[in-house]
Amino acid sequence: MSRSERVTDWLKANLFRSTADSIVSVVVGAIALFVLFRIVRFVFVTGRWEIVETNLSLYVTGAWPDAEMWRLVATVLLAAFVSGLIAGFIARSREIEAGVEAVSLSPRARIIELVVRLWPLLLGLALVLALTRTVMPVLLVVSAAVAVVLGRMLGRLLPRRSPPWLAALAVVTLLGVVWLMANGVGLESWGGMLLNIFLAAFSITLCFPLGVMLALGRRSKYPVVRLLSVGYIELFRGAPLIALLLMVDVAIGFFLPQSIVPSSPVRAIIVFILFTAAYMAEVVRGGLQSVPGGQVEAAKALGLSPISTTFRIVLPQALRNVIPAIVGQSISLFKDTTLAGAAMGLADLLNSAQASTAQEQFRGQGLIVESLVFVLFLFWVGAYTMSRESQRLERRLGVGNR
Amino acid sequence: MSDEMMTGSVMSDATQVGGDGEVMIEVSAMDKFFGDFQALKNIDVKVGRREVVVVIGPSGSGKSTLIRCINRLEEHDAGRIIVDGTELSDDVRNIQEIRRETGMVFQQFNLFPHLTVMENITLAPRLVRKLPAAEAEAKAMQLLERVRIPEQADKYPGQLSGGQQQRVAIARSLAMQPKVMLFDEPTSALDPEMINEVLEVMMDLAREGMTMIVVTHEMGFAREVADRVVFMADGQIVEVGTPEHFFTNPQEPRTREFLSQIL
Amino acid sequence: MSAEAQRPPFWRDVRVLGWFFQLAVFAIVVAIVGILVNNVRVNSANQGIPTGFSFLDQPSSFEIPGNDFRQSQPVRDALVEGVFNTLRVVVAGLVLATLLGVTLGVGRLSGNFLIRTITRVYVETIRNIPLLGLLIFFYIGLVLTAFPRVEDSWIVGSLLVANVRGVTIPWITGSTIAFLVVVAIAAGLAWAVNRWRLQVNERSGEPARGGLWAIPVLVLVGFWGAFFVGNGITTPELDGRSLEGGMTMQPEYFALLLALVIYTSSHIAEIVRGSIQAVPKGQVEAASALALSSWHRLRHVVLPQALRIAVPPIGNQYLNLMKNSSLGFVISYFEITKVTQTTVGNRSPAVPAFLLLIVIYLVLSLIISAGVNVVNRRLQVVER
Repeated sequence: MSRSERVTDWLKANLFRSTADSIVSVVVGAIALFVLFRIVRFVFVTGRWEIVETNLSLYVTGAWPDAEMWRLVATVLLAAFVSGLIAGFIARSREIEAGVEAVSLSPRARIIELVVRLWPLLLGLALVLALTRTVMPVLLVVSAAVAVVLGRMLGRLLPRRSPPWLAALAVVTLLGVVWLMANGVGLESWGGMLLNIFLAAFSITLCFPLGVMLALGRRSKYPVVRLLSVGYIELFRGAPLIALLLMVDVAIGFFLPQSIVPSSPVRAIIVFILFTAAYMAEVVRGGLQSVPGGQVEAAKALGLSPISTTFRIVLPQALRNVIPAIVGQSISLFKDTTLAGAAMGLADLLNSAQASTAQEQFRGQGLIVESLVFVLFLFWVGAYTMSRESQRLERRLGVGNR
Repeated sequence: MSDEMMTGSVMSDATQVGGDGEVMIEVSAMDKFFGDFQALKNIDVKVGRREVVVVIGPSGSGKSTLIRCINRLEEHDAGRIIVDGTELSDDVRNIQEIRRETGMVFQQFNLFPHLTVMENITLAPRLVRKLPAAEAEAKAMQLLERVRIPEQADKYPGQLSGGQQQRVAIARSLAMQPKVMLFDEPTSALDPEMINEVLEVMMDLAREGMTMIVVTHEMGFAREVADRVVFMADGQIVEVGTPEHFFTNPQEPRTREFLSQIL
Repeated sequence: MSAEAQRPPFWRDVRVLGWFFQLAVFAIVVAIVGILVNNVRVNSANQGIPTGFSFLDQPSSFEIPGNDFRQSQPVRDALVEGVFNTLRVVVAGLVLATLLGVTLGVGRLSGNFLIRTITRVYVETIRNIPLLGLLIFFYIGLVLTAFPRVEDSWIVGSLLVANVRGVTIPWITGSTIAFLVVVAIAAGLAWAVNRWRLQVNERSGEPARGGLWAIPVLVLVGFWGAFFVGNGITTPELDGRSLEGGMTMQPEYFALLLALVIYTSSHIAEIVRGSIQAVPKGQVEAASALALSSWHRLRHVVLPQALRIAVPPIGNQYLNLMKNSSLGFVISYFEITKVTQTTVGNRSPAVPAFLLLIVIYLVLSLIISAGVNVVNRRLQVVER
């Protein structure tokens, strides 16, 4: 079949199947073209992007002082290396379990694969880098990429019994990184996308033990434990996050002794942890339900204690099944961190966008559209990348096939 | 063993012991309810050391429930269960003790899919018996040789055939060096061509003198290996006897009916 | 030998240990809650703030825009007004988000490449943007920045007039209650006609065509009934600087509703698509093998099964929409959260006021869950 024949066939099958279909295609196509034209014109012609260019560092890192920038650089590199390590380890374990060897791709195919897989992230990075005026950010991104690759190569060499160590390493890295950064710049002065990412990453990690506990409690054979867990879960799932944030912001001074009332970011983290734990519990419960009852019986019959049964047999299988759902939860939390900005006045990414339109040189020019579009684009890059990766993970783990 | 049993006469109840005459498992006057439904009614049975008892009966007759009660996967509601002198009660120590001394093989294998064959076998010895890794692994290799699949040690259960999985499951139970093995329809989930490899391993075990209770539909196995056969129906023990007695001259009408359906 | 085992010593008895464990967990929880409650008591007493609900009877001393609520009315009335405003946006949001979401979800599976692509871009864009971002975009970026003055209103025939004062659409006049009663009666009649057609079909095999019969009944009875009880239609008419007729949505209400509908519909669309795709291919093949037409395949085979899968997660989205309506506080739409926050700012005690707020949301959640459960149970029964 010739190329033109194939094109015609495709058009017939996808756009002009019948008269009605053709009319729809033409009308919708015209409208879509018009909208697309307006968007392209806004992005390249009418949009006044100076506000974004000027405030880029405010959006990304908040009011982070230049003198302390090395802390951020170290953080990015460390995080890149550790995530590479974990990714490499997971990839290798999968190959071993499936009994296949690594597919070796040509460099070109490898790059194409990465671009197709990570295009939202690459697009976002490219845009941010295009808007910067120094070479440092480019260098940082390149070295972070190198760190990921190095980590990945090392991760493939790790012994197979590493998961507990890797999980511990991830948590220690997170805490260490927070310590490293907070030591230079107080938590109260963090801002921009940095704050959103930090709030989400920190809360999702710390909510995990509580969430797992609640999930186990909800499936406990003891009625009192079950009831308390259900009560907690339903209470926090029934109330809106914003109401909880407002309440804690105003009322935490009443719940705690006056001497230990924490600062706003810490309050936000407390609420996020308590709130997300309830949702995490439901996610983990789904995983627990996916583990066949025979697994527990076999463990009991071997004489394993209830604790060994839970931690060696049930949870490893349950959590593996819900990794994609946990990523989904992280996406929600990442988006919800904006609420801390609204309820507690933190200088997060969304608030920075609004604040930048009040600067003297941009005031009263209706630039909120430009700044919001850019900032929402950054959120979209983060959330969409995570969501694509979780779908990929879901396919590769073959959740549901097991 | 008495002469009477060897000649295939009737045994009116299941409390006479075979094997070397020493009582290993003693169940007396045991009841089990699921809600209002009585799954087991007044069960009396004794199993001797080194004895092989095969339990047969129609589905829903309570065979599986019986052996699941013996290692407390189900809690019995009345009566007593004593395994090797330890009474199964609400005492946590006794429950753990009995589970340590009792191995169980399930219809659905229930291997741990996230662990390799080797890890499946060494997990309990290391956690419960506190064996050092090297020792547990050496022991596991011996067991894998005994069930004739030493080459599969580093594979995951999902990569094995059903028959291989069930043999790993048997090795996993044996790794705890149990005094009793319970088999809950070990061949029912297997493709026909894999049944024999599992039965052969079980016959080896019986020859080596393991005390076994086997719930199965494999009448060939019962005939060849069992010291005694127990027939259950509707939660009760209907008839007990040697295989010869059982397959040549069953007394109870229910037993005859059942045997005529499956043979 | 006794027939029963001896009881083991209590420190090894599973039952005793079980109760002890439960008691310990309970005690820990009670202790935590007790410490918190005690702190509230002590701290409130130190600051001379009451902990009870007497503040409900105090004058509210604030006004609610777009409403004749007076400062002298008690806080209680303000809260009722807030609940009403929450319901206004939630009910409209649920209906519109469902309609848009189902349309988009079906569009995701369209054979037409353009429809498929556009709906996909919509869903994958909106789903991955924070709702608050959308809300601020619609409120500040659209309503406050782009909406014209009254005399330059954007007009779409008699259907829609938009300007800085809000968005005006045609609405019914006369008694709303009477209108609802008429609609209920019309719907009941339509349902009865549908039942009758099904019976005819059962008796004679003649095609039921329930919809063909029932929809005209619904429309005619509804239309004439409404006319009869004195309902009419008012359309917005712009005359120079004054806008008359129609129903005007405040800018805040409009922005919140728009954001909630756009955001929730993208999630519902994914659920609808997933549910339709979750119906096994074999089902459609079996239906085709029975020579069912494509409409019958959809109506009798695919949709009933897809609906069963879709209802629980869509119910979750309804709950989310209800809870997300609390974002109205960011743009000063006086729903219940904004009212609570305002009254706390006006010296109402924070802890009882916010606890009350959370209880209100729990009650609303329960109502929505109950509704979803009724539908769910009906579907399960129909299935068997």
